[in-house]
Amino acid sequence: MTDQMTAVPTDLGSGAGVADPDPDADGLLLDGVVKTYGGARPALDVPRLHVPAGSFTVLVGPSGCGKSTALRVSSGLETPTRGRVLLGGVDVTSTPAAGRGVAMVFQDFALYPHMTVEQNVGFGLRLEARHRPRRGLRGGAGPLNKAEIRRRVTGACELLGLGGLLERRPAQLSGGERQRVGLARAIVRRPRVLLLDEPLSALDAQLRQQARAELVRLHRELGNTVVMVTHDQLEALAMGTHLIVMNGGRVAQAGPPTDVYHRPADPFVATFVGSPPMNIAPMATTDAGRTFDAPGRRVRLDHPVPGLGASGSSTVLLGWRPGDGVIGGPAEADRPSAPGLAVEATADVVEFAGDAVVVHLTGDGMRAAVTVPARGSWPAVGDRVTVTVPAERLHLFDPADGRRLPAVGA
Amino acid sequence: MPAFDRWPRLIGRHAVLLLTAAVMLLPLVWALGSSFKPSTTIFDMSPVPLPASLENYRTVFSAFPLWRMLLNTFVTAAGVTALQVLVAVPAAYALTQLTFRGQRFALGLVAVALLVPVQSLIIPAFLMISHLGWRDTYPGLIVPQLSGCALAVVLLRNHLRALPPNLFHAAALDGATAGETLRFVVLPLLRPALSAVVLLVFINTWNEYLWPTLAAPSPKHTTIQAGLALFLNQEGPEYGPLLAASILATVPVVAVYLVASRRIADAFLHAGPG
Repeated sequence: MTDQMTAVPTDLGSGAGVADPDPDADGLLLDGVVKTYGGARPALDVPRLHVPAGSFTVLVGPSGCGKSTALRVSSGLETPTRGRVLLGGVDVTSTPAAGRGVAMVFQDFALYPHMTVEQNVGFGLRLEARHRPRRGLRGGAGPLNKAEIRRRVTGACELLGLGGLLERRPAQLSGGERQRVGLARAIVRRPRVLLLDEPLSALDAQLRQQARAELVRLHRELGNTVVMVTHDQLEALAMGTHLIVMNGGRVAQAGPPTDVYHRPADPFVATFVGSPPMNIAPMATTDAGRTFDAPGRRVRLDHPVPGLGASGSSTVLLGWRPGDGVIGGPAEADRPSAPGLAVEATADVVEFAGDAVVVHLTGDGMRAAVTVPARGSWPAVGDRVTVTVPAERLHLFDPADGRRLPAVGA
Repeated sequence: MPAFDRWPRLIGRHAVLLLTAAVMLLPLVWALGSSFKPSTTIFDMSPVPLPASLENYRTVFSAFPLWRMLLNTFVTAAGVTALQVLVAVPAAYALTQLTFRGQRFALGLVAVALLVPVQSLIIPAFLMISHLGWRDTYPGLIVPQLSGCALAVVLLRNHLRALPPNLFHAAALDGATAGETLRFVVLPLLRPALSAVVLLVFINTWNEYLWPTLAAPSPKHTTIQAGLALFLNQEGPEYGPLLAASILATVPVVAVYLVASRRIADAFLHAGPG
């Protein structure tokens, strides 16, 4: 990995459209952005964070990972300490929030308490009309007069099912209704990028499911770029077309949710995404990466892990998803039939979760979880079991730098 | 209904409250009673004015420019209130929501201004209005009392800080300038606090005694509080009319307070520490 610093252009003040040579720079790009709040470690430090145009991108990570900072820098509410923000290839680093064509839904929705739903949604449009009464709207829909504002506010509200609530005030609305008012206020100005800051966390669990689907549907209907911040990895997997996993102010991995889930780039992503988290433990090889042994566990591969013996390193971090494990009887460990992992352990805690059962295992100095379908049978607490995982479902990471090692495919 | 074992505590607490109230009210009751006493019985120890007489009030209305002074007081109090609000609202907004060079210093100055006793400003203020030729004028009465607006700034600032920060972010993204945010978002939300501040400043200014006696001693411009001193003339104090005029001067303030006491209490409750 090279630690190359991205050059920061000196003419940030110009604000003129700086063409970016990068072809996929439409959408949103944080280019070499660093944001420091005075602490020793920057809250955000991303050489490149790219949100593809038209995508539903989810920024996900534990609290303090920089995801909210990334969103606020994108919105213009925060200015980066270093680096550029590009929107559709245009440098907007010094463009104020309102001029960027972005809109935001806040975690607490931040509705104006003294305004009705209609006034809340229409506030931005009324200000726009105040500022440039003679200019037409973006998109050329005619002058922004009272009738046009009303038409657009009603349109946005109806799209979100707020038709009957136009005269209500925020205090008279339920949590779900407030969230939709926040959304209506954000989309009414037809933003190129819609920023959602944990928009579901203030809703109760049942409503959250429903609101998730509504957000995805809304994105499909509007077709603009959506960036959502969440700490809930299940929400991220379920909703995003593009996932950006963040950790410690940096991008840990970016890509489609299936990629991130099936090919996590490092142990952090592997354990953060997925529930229950991936089982990861170090294992040592004795024969240049073909077999690995640890007490109660054994891995046999058809092909040695490339580069393992050569570099002198003899251990790997071995990971497997709880859902990829298959539980068998205690005898099977002795005669592994296919290449892969075999673990001998004792069922310690058994959690029934409706469709599936999570079995927590303990063995020689190790813990692991396996998910089995609840339709079949599952071990009882205290049972000795053997769990096998096929080789192509194993994830190997370099213990030194956490890098994912090439596929171990069968 | 409280349990029996709590009664001793409740009784004790109410005894203390009643005693405090009595101490506070006694001078007022005495003044009220004595204002109805004719000059012959004014020094009687009884607080009850028997026989009662309206003689003092008649003197006040006939020989004392009561209405003129009430008008002066009203103009002064309203002027000071308007000026203070005009300064305090933008100041509080700037101190909470904007970031600018010297912000902490400005905030420190406001805090210091709270601690400076008004009396220490009297002489410089008096010299100032003398230079400007404002002695015995409304501007001379009103403008120097703007120095008391630190309290209004602090009260409004605390209310502003209690507003959710995302409200301001939402306004910024909606394209509102600082002025528009102040006008369309902050002011409507600040109305309860603002009306409390208005009442507070108005009552404080109404009751101000020292500055009007110096700045505008003539009956033409002086306020009612300063005007009361006219009864302490060279022929000796005229206690009866003095008390009657005092009672009359208090009536507007008490009326305002009765109507708005809850608002004032609320404002202080929400202002909280800080």
